[in-house]
Amino acid sequence: MKIPRLKLGRRLTSGDYIYNFFATITGLTIFNIQFFKQAFVPPYEIGEIKKHMDELGVKTFGIVSVTGFIIGLVLAMQSQPVLARFGASDFLPGMVALSVVRELGPVITALIFAGRVSSGIGAELGSMRVTEQIDAMEVSAVNPFKYLVVTRVIATTMILPVLSVYVIIIAILGGYLAVIITESMNFTYYVDAVLRSIEFGDFIPGVAKTFVFGYLVGIVGSYKGFTAEGGTEGVGRASTTSVVLSSLLILIFDMILVKLSLWLWPTLE
Amino acid sequence: MVMADSRVVEIKNLTKSFEHLTVLEDISLHVQRAENLIVFGRSGEGKSVLLKCIIGLMAPDAGKIFINGNDIGKLSIKELNLVRKNIGFLFQGAALYDSMTVRENLAFPLKRHFPEMNEKQIDDKVKYTLELVSLEEAIDKMPSELSGGMKKRIGLARSIITDPELMLYDEPTTGLDPITTKEISELILNLQKKLNMTSIVVTHDLICAEIIADRAIFLKGAKIAFEGEIKQLTVSNDPFLRNFFSHELIKV
Repeated sequence: MKIPRLKLGRRLTSGDYIYNFFATITGLTIFNIQFFKQAFVPPYEIGEIKKHMDELGVKTFGIVSVTGFIIGLVLAMQSQPVLARFGASDFLPGMVALSVVRELGPVITALIFAGRVSSGIGAELGSMRVTEQIDAMEVSAVNPFKYLVVTRVIATTMILPVLSVYVIIIAILGGYLAVIITESMNFTYYVDAVLRSIEFGDFIPGVAKTFVFGYLVGIVGSYKGFTAEGGTEGVGRASTTSVVLSSLLILIFDMILVKLSLWLWPTLE
Repeated sequence: MVMADSRVVEIKNLTKSFEHLTVLEDISLHVQRAENLIVFGRSGEGKSVLLKCIIGLMAPDAGKIFINGNDIGKLSIKELNLVRKNIGFLFQGAALYDSMTVRENLAFPLKRHFPEMNEKQIDDKVKYTLELVSLEEAIDKMPSELSGGMKKRIGLARSIITDPELMLYDEPTTGLDPITTKEISELILNLQKKLNMTSIVVTHDLICAEIIADRAIFLKGAKIAFEGEIKQLTVSNDPFLRNFFSHELIKV
């Protein structure tokens, strides 16, 4: 299966854009098929997967910590007056927890992750492509798809759920800060209220979808980088289009997966 | 089909095009064991494509390529990798892996082609090969810390570390000053003699070609326009060749 080349240039016609749209879908489909064909066949390159997971975790830990904390804080600050108006301030911990667990935690983490990681993979593989490092790898009897793409996609798929759970916890703590700024609430009471409002069933769809988001970030970044052409301009293009495309796909898949989870677990409604 | 033993590379009627542009058309040539063949041509005349077809990185549209009698178009990826074990490829920009040190760069092909080697053997071989290119001190450097000439040497070390019998050089001296060019070319020649390698060198550098070449071909308009010894090419009365070599002759 041959990955179609995109039409490049400064003056593309609308026909070219339509062609590129379908070529991207075809290219991504081929990439997905290749991934599943090669991921379960040895050698598994475990060392590379571990290395990438380690790097990805370190790279994104700081930024997701700050983002997660602020999301929880702002969410609680914004909701507090509204809930207070209806005399429902007691619901604040539960509301923060539910929003963060079900939707905000996984999606925001995934979007941050896409911005940080997908662009990185796109640029790294893109520059390896244009400087012939991928060809050099092939000459050394290494399957570059397996060594570069499969290992990265597995790493992003495994690490994003971990980061999401971490962000959920941090965001709930951020929410507590907002609460104690305006009213006195015992931390134990806050945590208890949070735990009472969420069930294990809320966690499953929230965290499960982050596996899909992690996979999307890895596969889109790899596809864009691996197929980059046209020197440094191509590397830049691979990097930016990776972020745009993976963010867009995360939101589209979020919509689909939320609908699917409501259908699978009707109790969530 | 098995070729005569002395022919390491045999190319028959090779054609390769990209969309509507034919870069190689009906090319046939062969390279004898321990021979150094220079491939001349202007930029974009398909010289690098020829090398990439030989090592199986690109598939020809038509024609056959035999390496030691093996038709590489008919080999499975495992068989092709066995053939590649005996081929070294020096890429135009050296293609060193940015994320690895010089040591890791050199160990990479060894670990992949010779999984039976232990760490100590790999390390010894890496050091020995670095000695051959006189860059022992660069062993723990990253590629970004190396100069252009050093990168070429390390790239050369990485491509000869598996003791290949066939070496493919894609513009080994482009972008280097004349003295470094001479040094690299002499290094290539010495290694070739020491290891008894067969080489195909793509270049438009006459200094490099004069040092290395046994025989040369000139690619023009997707075909082999001229074939013979370097001297014949440089003293040719053909207006195109005179024009091509005039600048280089002044330098020499």
